[in-house]
Amino acid sequence: MRENIQTASPAVVIVGSGHAGVGVAAGLRSRGWEGRIVLIDAEGQLPYERPPLSKDLLVPGAPAEPVPMRKESWFESRGIERVHGTAASIDRGRREVRLADGRALHYVKLILATGSTPRRLTVPGADLDGVLMLKTLPDARRLAAELAPSSDTAQDAARHVVVIGAGYIGLEVAAAAAKHGCRVTVLEFQDRVMSRVTSEPVSRFFEGLHGRAGTEFRFGAAVTALEGTRSPDGAGRVEWVVTADGARHRADVVVAGIGVIPEQGLAADAGLEASDGILVDAGGRTSDPDIYAAGDATRFASLYDGASQRLECIQNARAQAEAIAADITGQAPPAPEVPWFWTVQHGVRLQTAGVRHPDDDVLLRGDPANGKFSVIYLRGGRVAAVDTVGSLADFNAGKKLVAQRATIDPSLAADPSLPLDQAIAPLEPAAL
Amino acid sequence: MPTTIIAVDRDGTRHSLVWDEDQTLMETLRDNDLPVLASCGGTASCATCHVYLEEPVAARLGERSADEAELLADAEGFRECGSRLSCQIGHDAAHDGILVELAPEG
Repeated sequence: MRENIQTASPAVVIVGSGHAGVGVAAGLRSRGWEGRIVLIDAEGQLPYERPPLSKDLLVPGAPAEPVPMRKESWFESRGIERVHGTAASIDRGRREVRLADGRALHYVKLILATGSTPRRLTVPGADLDGVLMLKTLPDARRLAAELAPSSDTAQDAARHVVVIGAGYIGLEVAAAAAKHGCRVTVLEFQDRVMSRVTSEPVSRFFEGLHGRAGTEFRFGAAVTALEGTRSPDGAGRVEWVVTADGARHRADVVVAGIGVIPEQGLAADAGLEASDGILVDAGGRTSDPDIYAAGDATRFASLYDGASQRLECIQNARAQAEAIAADITGQAPPAPEVPWFWTVQHGVRLQTAGVRHPDDDVLLRGDPANGKFSVIYLRGGRVAAVDTVGSLADFNAGKKLVAQRATIDPSLAADPSLPLDQAIAPLEPAAL
Repeated sequence: MPTTIIAVDRDGTRHSLVWDEDQTLMETLRDNDLPVLASCGGTASCATCHVYLEEPVAARLGERSADEAELLADAEGFRECGSRLSCQIGHDAAHDGILVELAPEG
């Protein structure tokens, strides 16, 4: 890794080396940008894929190394300079990014791809050892070690793992813990799993899947405290999770998966518009013409309905990265892919195209009892999102219907023996 | 001897690429700036790394996995013989010299 920063030489400086940051670097080079590209990376290691951190890297027999996003030689051959450091402030007047260690980098264009950080538990006891979150590779390694302790410390009893939050991360961790033979309890404030991102039939299907693997669920559960025996110096390890109903849940390990907070501090401190996300337009532009932002850190208007949104997904990070690379090189941005999301739990895949709203009409396609079904979300009669469970047969067709905001005949769409795209039909006059 | 392949772009341009042993075919195409979106990062979750292989090469790979078959079935320009997700093809010296054609986007 290069550390000799030539502060006088102008460069596109990218803060953050996730999909958004690496995507901008890749996009700039493939579009012919010949100037310097400097990628500031706080973790100091080859940029890696994050989705496996909560999946393949946690299960028994997991690979020791993450999947690199690109090879070291790829960065070198494209002259993408990687700088290990933490961006601390932006001086917009001087067009400089200052690092925490005092170094300064001059930019012609600055890209903030700062991502998000897991929301922390704020209840008493959240500082106890054994209370974990999952975002980075070190987080994943720590968690994997806790789920599968070495044999001399494991004793005979299964470890008690309490997962707080039944979203993607919480449930993927719960599945991995169950595979390690842990006794898993999931505490969720809402009345079903993944309530933010999917509908009742999908939630109940996945609840059943985890339940058959021995995982217990407590819905409507509000965590009020974590308890453990502390030594005189205040250190201690978690032993119990207490909920508002007075229940106490035995815990050797607690994992909180309660959402993320966009990393907007750098932008907001520099006076850029930010409000639960750095505000950007469709081209990734912030309120400063020389500064762009991309990925989990951003908030923007949906291309579909104009609603202000954040999208925590690779598709969005990469689409924004491409738009920014196109803008900097004076080219037309490509049409973005439909936003899509996936999770794998106990070997069953849930994949979603589009962004569902809670008040969408819900159309079930197929029978959850068969382990393979889809759910179509209709907004004003048009396909807004499609969930596919246990099968990807409807995924590409669903993505196309979402992209076209297609109208469908519900009775045809509900018949899984017909290809989904054959259900396209004009809107009923009553729905217009 | 490095493994070399011929990649045919969507406009018909031919590129000679070296396929490194530690990469999948998708990674080789992507890292050589071929326009392969590969938006799932190589996990057989989308069909944006869809390529066509010549018949004997496809036959050598054996059956597609269930995920790959489902994703390809309604992919743009699907061919019963030859359509593959390039992320599911690991390096094999036996693939030296093969022709890989990018399928249409969409």
